[in-house]
Amino acid sequence: MNLGPLSRLTQWGVNQQDVVITHEDVDRAHDRVRVSAARAQRGAFSKFRLLWLLVGPGILVMLGENDGPSMISYAATGARFGIGFFLPFVVLTFCMAIVVQEMTMRLGSATHRGHAELIFDRFGPFWGWFSMIDLGIGNFLTLITEFIAIRAGLGFFGVPPWAAVGSALMFLCLAVAMHRYWTWERTLLAIAVFNLVFVPVALLTHPNWHAVGHAFLTWKPLPDLSQDTLIIILADIGATVTPWMLFFQQSATVDKGLTTKDIHLGRIDTVLGAALAATAAVATIIATAPLFVHHMTAENFQGAEFAQALQPLIGRFGAALFALGIVEAGMVASVTISISAAYAFGEVVHRPHSLNLPVTQGKSFYSVLFLLAATAGAIVLIPALPLVNVVLLVNVVAVLAMPPALVFLFMLANDREVMGDLVSPTWANILATGVVVFLTLAGVLFGVSVIAPNIFAFIGGK
Amino acid sequence: MPSKDKGQGLISSTDQELVLSSLEPEQLAGLKKHIIPRRHLKGPERFVIWSLRIYLLFMIVVVIYQVWASAH
Repeated sequence: MNLGPLSRLTQWGVNQQDVVITHEDVDRAHDRVRVSAARAQRGAFSKFRLLWLLVGPGILVMLGENDGPSMISYAATGARFGIGFFLPFVVLTFCMAIVVQEMTMRLGSATHRGHAELIFDRFGPFWGWFSMIDLGIGNFLTLITEFIAIRAGLGFFGVPPWAAVGSALMFLCLAVAMHRYWTWERTLLAIAVFNLVFVPVALLTHPNWHAVGHAFLTWKPLPDLSQDTLIIILADIGATVTPWMLFFQQSATVDKGLTTKDIHLGRIDTVLGAALAATAAVATIIATAPLFVHHMTAENFQGAEFAQALQPLIGRFGAALFALGIVEAGMVASVTISISAAYAFGEVVHRPHSLNLPVTQGKSFYSVLFLLAATAGAIVLIPALPLVNVVLLVNVVAVLAMPPALVFLFMLANDREVMGDLVSPTWANILATGVVVFLTLAGVLFGVSVIAPNIFAFIGGK
Repeated sequence: MPSKDKGQGLISSTDQELVLSSLEPEQLAGLKKHIIPRRHLKGPERFVIWSLRIYLLFMIVVVIYQVWASAH
């Protein structure tokens, strides 16, 4: 008897009764057909088209992580320390992000499973729930800071807080309303590239290029060793590597339908994203470096004072661009972070979780996504909520939560039963171990500085 | 029938062909319910994971203290 195309399931060793082909599968198949067609053709244009079709998760995760609190951390860095050690340091943190995110892309391409799903299946619900609690708390706190950034950025234009939060939630709904991963990805990519608006802002400040070059070559001038410096260091690390990125890129890789054939271009996608995000981050530090002389700190952040403080230096237009950059950072990240939580929730409870799903089939996916964002937005509207330093501290918490998350990623990427021949090579393991040790030591140093605040003065002989 | 998408009605046989010829088996949404076999953690792995878990809990207490100290 001819079973038609379904007979292929038997060839795969799959019981036909176990499989329900969904519209999610059909949408993904259409995307894969275009990839296969581009791969089959020769020539530079076809190669570029293939790259164009496959980029997305890497760029989105990196530009998504250049979110509201991250841009505020970079702005605070420039205003507090000027041009110096932190320029090359931020580039280093993006190199760490590449090492980590490449593993998630490889895992997603090889297993077609999300990160939460893999941890639950492979290590059991005990460790799975620990990871989910870390992710849930981290995502929720970060979402609150995204809405703080949106509120602050739009506040520069006189938009009241309720309208700012409402417009952000509307943007979130519009972003996912397309019910098609490809359309969502391309739309968000177009908006996320606006993150580079910090480059013209930096140029408007007429930076001292000699000092910039000197900083990249020598990592100097070095900052004072103090608790403030440590908080900025941790905030800048947390602005680049955070747990939600692991879950988001792996799930987006799966939702996009990448396979092992796409890993090379997936790496290019990740590196490209890191390069774009590092450019925006460095530009933000350079843009706020002129405020160094005014000794602005995190306390000055509320109400987008960075944009206001820059206005006498770069004019109303430049300041408006800066404020818009903060709004964009918050808007894009509120979408990616909400989606990372919704993906993880769907993977864990085995509910449909894809941006290819119509609302009728993805009720739990879209509900989690929207409810999480709406609750975070509502918290930001509480009058007199103490927001001082919250933005920086959220990044610090993200750094502290990274080592446990990275160990699971490390074990999965080296699990031959899961990854086959695609397990991490030795050099990648050395780099990943270095990242875990670096993040743990940075956290320990921060802990020591809190418990014994005078330790740095003692070490410095002051 | 395997070809039926519960929320959206029937998937045409052309689309079925497209799906089955373009996607790898594990990419099918319906097959993701199959659980990957459990791996039992070894002693050193358990030690590292527990150590980092304790580290995280301790550091969260430190951050809370830092917030409290800043507020006062």
